[in-house]
Amino acid sequence: MADIAVGTPLAAPLPRQRTLLVGTVFGTAASLMYFAALLAVYLRERSDALSDGGEWIPSSANMQLAPPTVAAWTMLMSVVTMQWAVYSIARDDRTHAIMATALTTLFGMSVVVTTSFQYTDMGLVADESIAATLIYVISGSHLAMIGIGLVFLLLMAFRALAGQYSSRQTDGFVAASIYWYAVVFVYVVIWTAIFVLK
Amino acid sequence: MTLTETNPEAEAVASGGETRPETEAVAAGDDVRPATLSSAPQWTPPTGLAGILSTGDHQVIGRLYIVFSLLLSVLALTLGMLIGIEQADIDGGFGVFGQANELFQVFGLYRTTLILCGLVPLFLGLATAIVPRQLSALSVAFPRAAAAAFWTWLVGAIAHIAATFSFGGLGSLEAGAARGQSVELTVLSLGMIGVGLLVGTGVIFTTLVTQRPAGMDLLQMPAFSWSMLVATGVWLFSLPVLLANLVVSWVDMRGADSLRFGGGDAPFEMVAWAFDAPQVYAWTIPLLGITAEVFTAAHRSSPKLFEPMAFIVGAFGLLSFGAWAQSFFDSADPLAQDAHVVTNEVVFTAFALAIALVVLAYGGWLAFNAYSAGQRPQITPQFALVMLSGALLTAAVVTGVLRVAEPALGVLREADGDIWRGFFDAMDDLEGSSLVNGMMNFAVLGALLAAVAGLFHWATPLLGRPLNAPLGFLSVLPLAGGAILVGATDGLGGFFDQPARPYAAGNPPYGPGHFDEIDALGFVEALNVIGLIGYIAVLGGLALVALNVARSLGGAPMDEPELGEGA
Repeated sequence: MADIAVGTPLAAPLPRQRTLLVGTVFGTAASLMYFAALLAVYLRERSDALSDGGEWIPSSANMQLAPPTVAAWTMLMSVVTMQWAVYSIARDDRTHAIMATALTTLFGMSVVVTTSFQYTDMGLVADESIAATLIYVISGSHLAMIGIGLVFLLLMAFRALAGQYSSRQTDGFVAASIYWYAVVFVYVVIWTAIFVLK
Repeated sequence: MTLTETNPEAEAVASGGETRPETEAVAAGDDVRPATLSSAPQWTPPTGLAGILSTGDHQVIGRLYIVFSLLLSVLALTLGMLIGIEQADIDGGFGVFGQANELFQVFGLYRTTLILCGLVPLFLGLATAIVPRQLSALSVAFPRAAAAAFWTWLVGAIAHIAATFSFGGLGSLEAGAARGQSVELTVLSLGMIGVGLLVGTGVIFTTLVTQRPAGMDLLQMPAFSWSMLVATGVWLFSLPVLLANLVVSWVDMRGADSLRFGGGDAPFEMVAWAFDAPQVYAWTIPLLGITAEVFTAAHRSSPKLFEPMAFIVGAFGLLSFGAWAQSFFDSADPLAQDAHVVTNEVVFTAFALAIALVVLAYGGWLAFNAYSAGQRPQITPQFALVMLSGALLTAAVVTGVLRVAEPALGVLREADGDIWRGFFDAMDDLEGSSLVNGMMNFAVLGALLAAVAGLFHWATPLLGRPLNAPLGFLSVLPLAGGAILVGATDGLGGFFDQPARPYAAGNPPYGPGHFDEIDALGFVEALNVIGLIGYIAVLGGLALVALNVARSLGGAPMDEPELGEGA
C-alpha cells in the first residue's frame, strides 16, 4: 500500500523545553515547603508542651508505631518500582514501565489504606488537643499529596498505554517520579517527627 | 499503510517529478487526508464574554490581572482611608467602625487586599503579558494553568472580601456561630487566593526557565524577567507556608473549640508575617527589575554591569524571604528571661540591616548607569514613578533599620547602661508601634508605583496604545506624594507610641481607653489626618491611572514598538 503524505514538512525539531519537568519540580518544591511549614508548627508546639512538663500526645490515644512503619516501608519500596518505571521507559520497554507504574500505584493505595486503618485504630479525637489537630492536618495533607501522586502516575500510565512515551521522550515519567520521591520523602519525615518522636 | 509527515509536492519537486493532482489520487483509491483536513470547517475562537472566560491568551490574561488588581488596589486604599479616618480621632472611640472587631476585620482586609489582591497579581499580570515577549516566546509555559490561576485568584478575592464584610475576617475578637462561619470562609478564600497566586507564580517561573530561545542564558534575560525569576522563586517558598498557616487555622476552627490556631485573632497572627518585614519586601522584588529597565531606557542606553545588578536583585530576594519570621512562633511570655521573640533575634536584625545595604548597592548601580550613559535622562511619567518608587523602597528599608536599631545596638547598652539613654528608650518604644505600618506602606505603595511605571513603559504591547503622558505626569504627583504621606505619618507616629494594631481595645497599653500611653496625642492625630490626605491622594492618582488605561484600551491599536523602547 502506498505511503500517505500528511501535511507540510516538519520544521527542524526544537530543543525539548522540559516544561512538564520544570513545572513538576516547582510544584514539588511548593509541596515540600508546605509540609516544612506544617512540621515547623508541629515541632514548635510539641517543644513548648514538653518544656512545660505537660504531655504532648494525649495518653488516651493508642499511637502504635507498627502501622506507620509498615506504611513507611511500603513507600520506600515504591521508590524502587518508580525508578523501575523510569528505567524501563528510557529503554522503550513500555510493558515493564506500565507494570512498574501500576505497582507503584498499588503501593500508594496500600499506604492510604494503612493510614485509614491507623486513624480508626489510634482513637485520637481531632479537636481534643493541639497535637491531634496537627497530626490530622499533617497526615491528611499527606494523604492528599498521595492522591495527587496517584492521579499523576495513572495519567502517565494511560499515556504510555497510548504510546506516548519512549526513550526519546521520558519527561512525563521522570516528572511523576520526582513528585513521587517527594511524597515518599515527606512520609519518612512525618514518620520520624510524629510517630517515632511522638 | 504508513503515514509520513512530508509534503508530497515538496518531495516531488525535490525529486524532479511532478505532483499528482488530488483527484487522481482519490481515483486511485489512495487515502488523501490533507484534502479532508483542509476542507474541515475552521474553528473560530469565541468572542466577547465567552472569549474572555475561556481565553488562554497570555496577553488577555495579563490584561485581566491588571484591570482587576488595579480595581482591588483601589478598594484596599479605600479601606486604608477608612482606617485613617478612624485614627484621626483616636480618643473618640470607634467612630467609623462602631466596635473594635470591625476595625480588626478591615485592618486585616486592608493588608490582604493591598498585597495579595492588588500588588502581587499586578506584577503577575505584567509578567504574564510581558515575559513571553521579552523571551521571544509565543506564550507562557502553561497557558491554561495561567487562566485557571487567574480565575481562582479572582473568585478567591471576591469571596474573601464578601466574607469579611459578612462579619468575617481573619479571626474574630467576638464569639458567635454566624461570625464563625464567615471567618471560616474568609480563611478558605484567602487560601484560594494563595493557590491562585502560587499557580500563577509557577507558570511564570516555568516560562522563564523553559521558554527562553536557544542561546539566551538566565543572565541574558531583560532585567524585569530576571527580577520575576527571583520573585517567583521567593514566592514559591513563601506562598506554601502561608497556605499551611491557613490550613492549620481552618482545621482548628472546624473543631468544637478552637484550641490555638483558629480562635480570637489567631488566624490573622498566623499570616501576619506576610505583611511584615522581611517578607513584605519579597512582594516588591519586581520593582527592582522595572526600575532597571525604565531607568536605562530613559537614559537611552542598555544596562551596564548587568551581572552585579542580577546578583543584587538575587540578594534582595534571598534576604526578603520571611516565612520563618512568624510572631506565632514567639514564646507565650515575651517578657520571660529566655523568651524567643522573633523581632529581637539576631537573624532578624541582620536581615534588616543587610537588605538596607543591598538597596544601597542597587542605588549605586543605578548611579553608575546614569553616569555611564553620559546624558540626561528623558523625563517620562514612568521615569518619575520609578525614581519615586525607589525612594519609597529606600524609606521602607531605613524604617526597617530604625525598627531593629535597639537590638542592633543593644550590645552598647549592655556595655554601658547610661550611654545614649534617651536614644535607646526611644528605640525601645518602637517595637509594636505604627512604625511597622509605615514600613509596610512605604514598601508596598512604592512597589505599586513601580507597577504603574511598568504599565506606562509597556503600554503599547500591553494595551495597544501608549498611555497619555500629560495625564501620566498628573497622576505621578498624587500617587507618590500620597504614598510618602501615608508611610511617613505612620512611621513618625511610631515615635510617639502610636500602636501598630489600633483595634486592640482593652489590651494594655494600647487601644481606646489606653490612649494615654500615646505621647502628644493631638500631634499624632494631626499626623493621622495628614496620612488620611495621603490615602485620598493615592486613590486620586490611581483613578487617573485607571482613566488613562481605559482611554488607551478604548482607542485604536497602534504598531508595537520593540520592547524596552517604552511607550
